[in-house]
Amino acid sequence: MEDLLNEVVPQEDLERFEKKYHHELELDGEVTTDTKFEYAFCLVRSRYTNDIRKGIMILEELARTHPDGRRDYIYYLAFGNARIKEYTSGLKYCRAFLDIESNDQVRSLEEYIKKEIDKEVAKGMVVAGGAALVLGGILGLGIAMARNKQKREK
Amino acid sequence: MSKVRSVVNKLHERIDYFIEKCPNMTAAPYNYNYIFKYIIIGDMGVGKSCLLHQFTEKKFMANCPHTIGVEFGTRIIEVDDKKIKLQIWDTAGQERFRAVTRSYYRGAAGALMVYDITRRSTYNHLSSWLTDTRNLTNPSTVIFLIGNKSDLESTREVTYEEAKEFADENGLMFLEASAMTGQNVEEAFLETARKIYQNIQEGRLDLNASESGVQHRPSQPSRTSLSSEATGAKDQCSC
Repeated sequence: MEDLLNEVVPQEDLERFEKKYHHELELDGEVTTDTKFEYAFCLVRSRYTNDIRKGIMILEELARTHPDGRRDYIYYLAFGNARIKEYTSGLKYCRAFLDIESNDQVRSLEEYIKKEIDKEVAKGMVVAGGAALVLGGILGLGIAMARNKQKREK
Repeated sequence: MSKVRSVVNKLHERIDYFIEKCPNMTAAPYNYNYIFKYIIIGDMGVGKSCLLHQFTEKKFMANCPHTIGVEFGTRIIEVDDKKIKLQIWDTAGQERFRAVTRSYYRGAAGALMVYDITRRSTYNHLSSWLTDTRNLTNPSTVIFLIGNKSDLESTREVTYEEAKEFADENGLMFLEASAMTGQNVEEAFLETARKIYQNIQEGRLDLNASESGVQHRPSQPSRTSLSSEATGAKDQCSC
């Protein structure tokens, strides 16, 4: 799964489908579903977060308005969210997909996201634990100093 | 002195343990000499993902849904005592993905072009798949034609002879295979690798070209650079 998520769209492809998208928009005032999807498919594989977010927005719109290709949109919504570490949203889309269709491709994405969430939780605990230790240390030092002072005053 | 030696030996044992446990890490020494990039292409429903699954998992995936966009699989094989890691990109056959999956062709060392022997239309479309492959890969890319579902003899629509002739005319390697029984699946993937390896040996494939689809890796780990490798292994090891 990592290999898929780490793969980055070639810049020239992204530009080509971007051009196609804007060309249709200028010429006809609207963009066909296929072109929108092609552009979004490139955007969610970009190395830049802003591109991925843009891709997610297009896919969300497609998923709302075109039930035909919904499984493709939902998978890439999960995929895009996983790439920008929006794991909660990613997981939500995986589950929405798996509720409708049993699918190993989506299941492995779901497993990956769950693992990443676990990792973040563990990291959070380490940070919290470290903070507690530091705090404890400062507190201990304070108490010791206070005692020392008391002793001296006596 | 003997104490030092025993400590060093223990260290070596630990390192060997990490190397064994974490074979695919980038920081640790590679346990393969080459990486070959493959793509699998062909019409929808010809069994591309099932072939990949049979090759990587040695299992037949019944009721395989349509691939969304692209899937990925790897396996390490051996050719001429050299370990080769195959990185296989399995593309969706649906028409709507046709334009966007073209970016995966670039830099492929091997292309497995699949049709279904029980559906003539999938065979008829081969020339268009071949055109794409030729246009988007480099001249040294090995193209292997696979007639899948060879177990379904009773519903066959394309004869072996006809496809063989097409393959010969276009300089493609060719086999009929069955992702269900596993017949010839290994052969197709391995023959492709052998041909690529042969191209490297004969200097037909430039390893330094960015789009050759082949990466060479330093071979066995050496003990001299022990300290940095050992810490690298330790840091990234999740086992």
